[in-house]
Amino acid sequence: MPALSQRLLVVILCFRAFFNAHTAEQSYTIAVIPKGTTHEFWKSVNAGAVKAQRELTSQGTKIDLIWKGPLREDDRDQQIQVVENFMARHASAIVLAPLDSQALVRPVRNAVQAKVPVVIIDSDLKSDEYVSFVATDNYKGGQLAGDQMGKLLNGSGNVILLRYAVGSASTEAREAGFVDVLKTKYPAIKLISSDQHAGATREMAYQTSQNLLNRFGREVNGIFCPCEPPTIAMTKALRDLGLAGGKVKMVGFDAGSQSVLDMKNGDVQALVVQNPLLMGYLGVVTAVKHLKGEKVEKRIDTGVVLVTPENMNEPEIKDLLYPPLSRYLN
Amino acid sequence: MQSSSKSNGQALARTWRLINLAGPFLGLVLVVGLFSLSPSVRPYFLTGANFKIILTQTVIVAMGALGMTLIIVSGGIDLSVGSVVALTSVVGATALLKGSGAWGVVGLSIAVGAGIGLVNGLVIGGLRMMPFIVTLGMMGIARGTAKWLSGNQTVNAPDSPINGIMDLKDPTLLFPLPFGVWITLGLAVLMAVVMRGTVFGRYIFALGSNENAARLCGIRVNLQKVKIYCAAGIFFGLAGLMQLSRLTQGDPTVAIGLELDIIAAVVIGGASLSGGSGSILGSMIGALTMAVLRNGSNQMGWPTYMQEIIIGVVIIIAVGLDKLRQHTLKSGR
Repeated sequence: MPALSQRLLVVILCFRAFFNAHTAEQSYTIAVIPKGTTHEFWKSVNAGAVKAQRELTSQGTKIDLIWKGPLREDDRDQQIQVVENFMARHASAIVLAPLDSQALVRPVRNAVQAKVPVVIIDSDLKSDEYVSFVATDNYKGGQLAGDQMGKLLNGSGNVILLRYAVGSASTEAREAGFVDVLKTKYPAIKLISSDQHAGATREMAYQTSQNLLNRFGREVNGIFCPCEPPTIAMTKALRDLGLAGGKVKMVGFDAGSQSVLDMKNGDVQALVVQNPLLMGYLGVVTAVKHLKGEKVEKRIDTGVVLVTPENMNEPEIKDLLYPPLSRYLN
Repeated sequence: MQSSSKSNGQALARTWRLINLAGPFLGLVLVVGLFSLSPSVRPYFLTGANFKIILTQTVIVAMGALGMTLIIVSGGIDLSVGSVVALTSVVGATALLKGSGAWGVVGLSIAVGAGIGLVNGLVIGGLRMMPFIVTLGMMGIARGTAKWLSGNQTVNAPDSPINGIMDLKDPTLLFPLPFGVWITLGLAVLMAVVMRGTVFGRYIFALGSNENAARLCGIRVNLQKVKIYCAAGIFFGLAGLMQLSRLTQGDPTVAIGLELDIIAAVVIGGASLSGGSGSILGSMIGALTMAVLRNGSNQMGWPTYMQEIIIGVVIIIAVGLDKLRQHTLKSGR
């Protein structure tokens, strides 16, 4: 038995030596941790990360990319576990889209203590220990949506805001931007419901939408949803009731393929679109820059664009609506 | 002829008892070995720092498994654990917000868990209803109450000593282990003694082996059931306290499906869902096995669906082994 454990030790030491020799080259392991893996938004982020990996590799920096979401989507505890596990694995850096602005603070601090730098993408974290925050200016995105809603309704009418989920910093900023613009620029528009949360899944969002429309369907003129699942669910609920096609103006967020289809069919009047591919790309690039000792900005904006049926066929908009996923993911 | 078959049966029983005891251990060693095979993962996987993380991630499931072992050995089941954990975390965070001290929150967590366990036990024992259905109902009641109390939001508690229970502190070393790990270890030792060495413990096994026989022997079955569910509730409440410490907030949507992880841990640990067998040590190893599987697959970079498939396969193998054991024991007799 002791002989065996000795032999094991030798083997382990050999591998350690082998590994250390390996890290002498420029080679980094980057762990990218999204909020979930099934939504198309995160597939675009994944594609962007792969794009960064390929570019950096062709420039002579070898990147091992690990893409790993929480086992149960939208479960904070599970995402904490993933962060901890990559910290223990000594990933060179972690790129994280935190599910909650508070619950992930301590795991990020632990990772930084263990000398694993963290780049935050998509949603903010109540901390300043991260390297950089690479995300959409969500408040601006919400303002864009509010402005478009004001124009669509010619400045007066009843509007529903279906919120996403509590504790999700990105969507809360969009909701705030939307509400602020309506209040300051379009005082004649009335928010008849703004306290309902759709919930994480499309099914839950669909049920909430149906319930809301059952209550407010006769008086509502415009609806804003701050991200992909409620946008798709609400549009479906509008269609069920025959309120789609512009009878109720629908302004959504993000370019899921269903939302884009809905816009083509005239059921969605405007989408505020972010650039998740750029987010994944810049997340990884920023992490690598930091690892190489270069200075990086603390806040990097990845931009928002308002897409309407009129401009949706322009080439640069098309790239946002139909991200070239197949080029990067198999 | 008869005596030889009898001794044969005894030998078989002895072998199976050995497998029962060693099986979960073997599983754990196998899983640890599996991840140690990969040269790129091993230098990180087999470190004190990583085992600290694994142990910390095990705490909540292990704490729940302590209570669940009592219930499953007695022939029952509790599906409300995940909801109780969420409710406790919300109640604790709310109490902290209202200015309660850390010890007050500890007491409150235990009280919430024990209270729900008491209700479960009273309905199951008093009205002789199926534990599956009663606790299924309680799952909804506790989850709904958690959402109601929290106003459907996460409750951000102010910083308190509670947050320190599950703090990794220095993430690069094995020691100091988070306080929560020590609490769980201590309680596991205590419960192992209770299960093996006290009258209450023997009653639990008697109840699970044959409830009618236990009743005929003069055991007050219904009273014991109330005690069992209430005692288990204490552990579920403590699991909620650990969850609160880990998230640093009360979250009404946390731990959905946690009860299934806990039941899986107990079953992997050699307990039988038909009652009468199981051990605290086994359940703890079962919980650890699940955490190692998750930790290892993360670090190997395996996709999430692989993890789900593997854990599923492990559970079925564990239950299959249990079935085989019962079958052999019966035919051996």
